Amino acid sequence: MIADMREALEAVLGPISEPVLLAGGASKEAWAVDAGDERLLVRRAAGGVIHRHTLSLRHEFEVLSAAHEAGVLVPRPVAYIEDLDGREAFVMERLDGETIGRRIVRMAVPERLPVQMAEELAKIHGLSAERLPFLEEASIERLVDELDDVGEPHPAIELGLWWLRENRPPPRLPVVVHGDFRIGNLVVDESGLVGVLDWEFAHLDDPARDLSFALVRAWRFGVPEKRLGGIGDAEPYLERYNELTGFDVQPEELDYWEVAGNVGWAIGCLTQAQRHLTGQDRSVELAILGRLGAEVEYEICHLLERQGVT
Amino acid sequence: MSERPTPDELTEAIEEFLAGEILATLEDQRLRFRTLVALNALGIVRRELAQLPPQDDAEQRELAARIRAGDVPVGTIARVKADVEQRLRIASPNYLDRYSDE
Repeated sequence: MIADMREALEAVLGPISEPVLLAGGASKEAWAVDAGDERLLVRRAAGGVIHRHTLSLRHEFEVLSAAHEAGVLVPRPVAYIEDLDGREAFVMERLDGETIGRRIVRMAVPERLPVQMAEELAKIHGLSAERLPFLEEASIERLVDELDDVGEPHPAIELGLWWLRENRPPPRLPVVVHGDFRIGNLVVDESGLVGVLDWEFAHLDDPARDLSFALVRAWRFGVPEKRLGGIGDAEPYLERYNELTGFDVQPEELDYWEVAGNVGWAIGCLTQAQRHLTGQDRSVELAILGRLGAEVEYEICHLLERQGVT
Repeated sequence: MSERPTPDELTEAIEEFLAGEILATLEDQRLRFRTLVALNALGIVRRELAQLPPQDDAEQRELAARIRAGDVPVGTIARVKADVEQRLRIASPNYLDRYSDE
């Protein structure tokens, strides 16, 4: 199978090194190959189920290409391959740096990382939606449907959804968003931000929602006092973002969408566990998320109390 | 209170992991033997769990439905938070310590 894949890749890239499987997720594979001096990464569909609300690899490649053209720090897109030994795939540059969140928060990251994150996000939110007509608009109402699909009672999540309904800030015009912009989906080294990865959740949405996702406590990787992804404060991040976009996002909007991010991830934990429980992807890692979601539910309660809910 | 995965479902996931992923990688005969013994032990746990009465989530369902309907009287959050705390004492007991300074 690797030989077939190599042959198909060489038809596009010329002679390459033996592909090495880096990570095997349930829905995507990542292979490292070198073509001469070029260090490349092949992102290929895996056998598992494709999830709702995620882009196909063809569309993800188009978003990556649009981001690259707009000067966003991303791996350089190389080629989309419709049939790579039976599955779709694309090839991109393989960036050097750390992507594991738990390690990034322990690295000596430069002080300007929050500002760099804001700069990349401002560029992303400026991408042309006309160029990417397949992107769908998301709403927080979708969260209710996802929770109902799980079918378990979770009063803390209901309370979060209730608060979100009652306190909705005036909606902003939807823009192209990354959809999963947080530490863990960024490549970072000692000099700062190297690249933004994992574009499969790109869609059209309120920019403040995308901006706030990196604040969710679960993505602070054990450094809760640093609100921005365990690496810094939210203020310089928000300030730089506003400076570049002129959107004038208010701190209260960050608070609102931080609650929404937690509600989304609390439901995400349950839907991940469902993948195991329904037999889609049997895995002890997915199974335990069904229980660890209680951490996120606790954070929802904590944030609502801080908002004065009694 | 009801929780998924249930204790039986969690134990089953461990069983599948050991039998399906770990066992095939083990060359050391002693480790293979002990892993088979561990799987037997998990089988005992599962059969024991099967004798427990099923969990009852009626109260949580009712609370969730009331909040969905917008019926959120003062004191709701305290009750909900206490329930989540109780679940965390099982699922992730150290997690609560991280809030001690806040």
